[in-house]
Amino acid sequence: MSNATQNRPSDAAQSSGFMTRILRRTFSEAGAKIGLFWVSVLVIMAVFAPFLANTVPLLASENGAVSAPFLRYFTVEDVIFLSVFVIVIVIWLSPLSRTFSRATTSFIILTTIATVLANTFVKPPQLIIYDDFRTQQAQGKYDWSINAPVAFSARDYMRDVSEAPLQEPLAKSQFKHVMGTEENGADVFSRMIHASRVALSIGFIATGIALVIGVILGGLMGYFSGIVDMLGMRLVEIFESVPTLFLLLTFVAFFGRNIYLIMVIIGLTSWSGYARYARAEFLKLRKQDYVQAAIASGLPLRSILFRHMLPNGVAPLLVSVSFGVASAILAEATLSFLGLGPVDAPSWGQMLNQSIRASTFNWWMAVFPGGAIFMTVFAYNLIGEALRDALDPKSAKGDD
Amino acid sequence: MSTQTSGIKSYKLTPSEKPEHKLLQIKNLQTHLQAGKRVVKAVDDVSFSINKGETFCLVGESGSGKSILALSVIQLLPARISSHPSGVVLFDWRKQENVGQVSIPTYKQVDMLTLEEDDLCDIRGSRIAMIFQEPMTSLNPVYSVGEQIMEALLLHNNGMSEEIAKQRALKAMQEVQIKDAETRFNNYPHEMSGGQRQRIMIAMALACEPDLLIADEPTTALDVTVQAEVLKLIRALQQRKGMSVLFITHDFGVVAQIADKVGVMKQGKLVEVGDAKNVLRNPQHEYSQKLLAAVPENLPRRKKEEQKSPNEALVKVKNLDVFFPIRKGVLQRVVDHVRAVDDVTIDINKGKIVALVGESGSGKTTLGRAILQLQKPTAGSVSIHGHELVGLSTKQLKPWRQKMQIAFQDPQSSLNPRLLVAKTLTEPMKIHGIGSNDDERIELAGEVLEAVQLQRDFMWRYPHEFSGGQRQRIGLARALALNPEFIVCDEITSALDVSVQAEVLQLLLEIRDQRDLTLLFITHNISVVEYLCDETIVMKSGKVVEQGLTEDVCGNPQNPYTQKLIEAVPRLNL
Repeated sequence: MSNATQNRPSDAAQSSGFMTRILRRTFSEAGAKIGLFWVSVLVIMAVFAPFLANTVPLLASENGAVSAPFLRYFTVEDVIFLSVFVIVIVIWLSPLSRTFSRATTSFIILTTIATVLANTFVKPPQLIIYDDFRTQQAQGKYDWSINAPVAFSARDYMRDVSEAPLQEPLAKSQFKHVMGTEENGADVFSRMIHASRVALSIGFIATGIALVIGVILGGLMGYFSGIVDMLGMRLVEIFESVPTLFLLLTFVAFFGRNIYLIMVIIGLTSWSGYARYARAEFLKLRKQDYVQAAIASGLPLRSILFRHMLPNGVAPLLVSVSFGVASAILAEATLSFLGLGPVDAPSWGQMLNQSIRASTFNWWMAVFPGGAIFMTVFAYNLIGEALRDALDPKSAKGDD
Repeated sequence: MSTQTSGIKSYKLTPSEKPEHKLLQIKNLQTHLQAGKRVVKAVDDVSFSINKGETFCLVGESGSGKSILALSVIQLLPARISSHPSGVVLFDWRKQENVGQVSIPTYKQVDMLTLEEDDLCDIRGSRIAMIFQEPMTSLNPVYSVGEQIMEALLLHNNGMSEEIAKQRALKAMQEVQIKDAETRFNNYPHEMSGGQRQRIMIAMALACEPDLLIADEPTTALDVTVQAEVLKLIRALQQRKGMSVLFITHDFGVVAQIADKVGVMKQGKLVEVGDAKNVLRNPQHEYSQKLLAAVPENLPRRKKEEQKSPNEALVKVKNLDVFFPIRKGVLQRVVDHVRAVDDVTIDINKGKIVALVGESGSGKTTLGRAILQLQKPTAGSVSIHGHELVGLSTKQLKPWRQKMQIAFQDPQSSLNPRLLVAKTLTEPMKIHGIGSNDDERIELAGEVLEAVQLQRDFMWRYPHEFSGGQRQRIGLARALALNPEFIVCDEITSALDVSVQAEVLQLLLEIRDQRDLTLLFITHNISVVEYLCDETIVMKSGKVVEQGLTEDVCGNPQNPYTQKLIEAVPRLNL
């Protein structure tokens, strides 16, 4: 499409593609707007977590020298999240976003580079003693300092402050914890913000893996049909009979609690639904006249599958993707609730688990993480529902 | 039964109007439809009347509002989106009133637009019946056809016993010439063919002996031979029962067959009303003249050229079979085959337009696709320029793909909705190495668009921005983009309005002459064949029954099937 798009006269610029119209129609609905709003809040929390919740001051002046102490403690994860965000913004604004395939390729390449660079060059100190910063500030070592809106890191367990853990929100104590503290004494609000990363990444990575496998296998099944279809459907049935939760438990028991392993396993076991969808779509599209015309023009299989069929069949898949993201988040929450999630990294499910610890019901440990899980799953479902309506020709409004 | 209903109004009629003859009078009817925030004037100030025992044909192109007009008469439009700012629809309502032991008919003139729902329900089905275009979907698949006819009878005749209803239903089925009505009574809709289903619909509509039958394109989805039978049937039943018919169609041939009076509609307005013969022979309004001139039979005939070169076969098909297996049982064993194309041998001569004619299911589309190797033949041979195509791999076929192209029937599905027209046109060029760079290919694509009489900058748009006729041209442009020698045109004009069809046909002739093309024109429309094609091949149930020059096949058919087919074509000349 390269030259073709660039030669395009500007007066025809308002002519919009199918996907743009579908998305516009989707997000014109109130429900989808609410969903989109919540997901954006999650994205902002995940990307800017170190800016929003950090014990380390954002800016401090020590004897006249202004420095940003928190930058020294940036973890690899912080850097990757920030760079992915920047990459998405840059691609969106650049001409690369004109074609979907280019945008995707450049995103994957740039993200890989950023990940490798972050892993090689970002070396935060192994040990952070958060109390040092508090004492330094209390002793007036800094001339002035700017703290994050939530002045506690997610892993700041307040060991110097000999206060009881599991404090209620806004309990009368030395520090103000808007959502209380958890069993180790860390601030719940801060952990909530940092936990949005797990929720977001598990949703997107697990569903991404499932989608890629599902579309490729389902597409091939649908296009070739016959024996390929027969074997593929049996494979789908085999994978559908694998109980994901028990498989996850087994893997966690053998290989330890690794969040990335959990993402991959959820992805590898949940592709069968997408494969069924893709197969049905490709079976239908194969008989479409424009696909027949593409075959009659002698176009290569790659072009027929990925340019003429996939973009037309992917829209119904998006609906099931949005529900898939929600269920992946729930799966991780379940696992964490059972105490098999990531060890130290904050996660909503793990916090939920603490609400029933210590023989008392700690309502704030139930309400805030539980509410966040509910809102996130609800938001994705709202988007999925609106997408389904937008794609349904029977409910299509004549607004274009 | 004699209680006055509030919706019934009486109207004073001028002495010149004789109410007893006018069954339906429509005066200044307007129907507005709400589409989002826009208001569409679907029917705009239409007035006409239908006398008893008369057939009134409404003709017009798609979107002219003829179906909406019919639905306004019977009040079947959803009230949420429709409104009637002005107009009256006066219907002469016949009611059976019991006076002592005898029931005598009474007549009351009512305005359908203001009548109450209960009264409308009484009228619908019993006094005004309607039949629709699509026989597949207008019958309920879970009831047998007999039950459905009985239901209509029982609903509209209070106190009729089931026994009598069944007798009446059987009689109605016999009237529409369903053979063996007793056994057919218990059949379900899927067990009947399209023509039989349409007969059942007619039987259901006529079972209550309505005064007015509204037929909305009842034969459009049917094959031409079946259409001829159904038209004959409607005509005969109408004369026997003295019923009036409001017949909606887009086909002037059908109008010539059935109409007493004709109304021509354009964009919601009735532009011409008159006696059928007068309107067809001597149309007064500019639009009617244009429509009639676009009918293939009336298109200016081109001069028959002298044979430029001796007949030289470009594409040769020999003993071609395409079978689809029928599988049954647990093991999915092949028990039989559907013989879609059965031992077909044809030659397609260079530079000719060859028609492939046949009714639905005759295998003409399968044959077209099998020639292009889009459908793998079961046996036989297809060769172009003497090169065998059957059995070649995708890679080996690629150079031949450029020489053979296809254009499709459905303007909705023939273009990829996600691709700019430019991309649709240039991608195949790139694969086949036509044009050295993208700029050059864009230039070539522009030329092709101009060849099909479209503007160059149309290539920067997406398919959904075009009308049906424009899309068909883009489909043709895509086929032409590779500079092929041979194009299969699969019903490319069937979904188009008659005036657009005429333009596309003339365009095809021009392109053929400019580019020295050979066309295989698949169609079911005999008038188009007579206008366009040099040679004709007639297919029936997968077999070729007759082939030869168009003048011979259409003028003097030899095969009994061809004779029946040609005879069934509704002709315009009266």
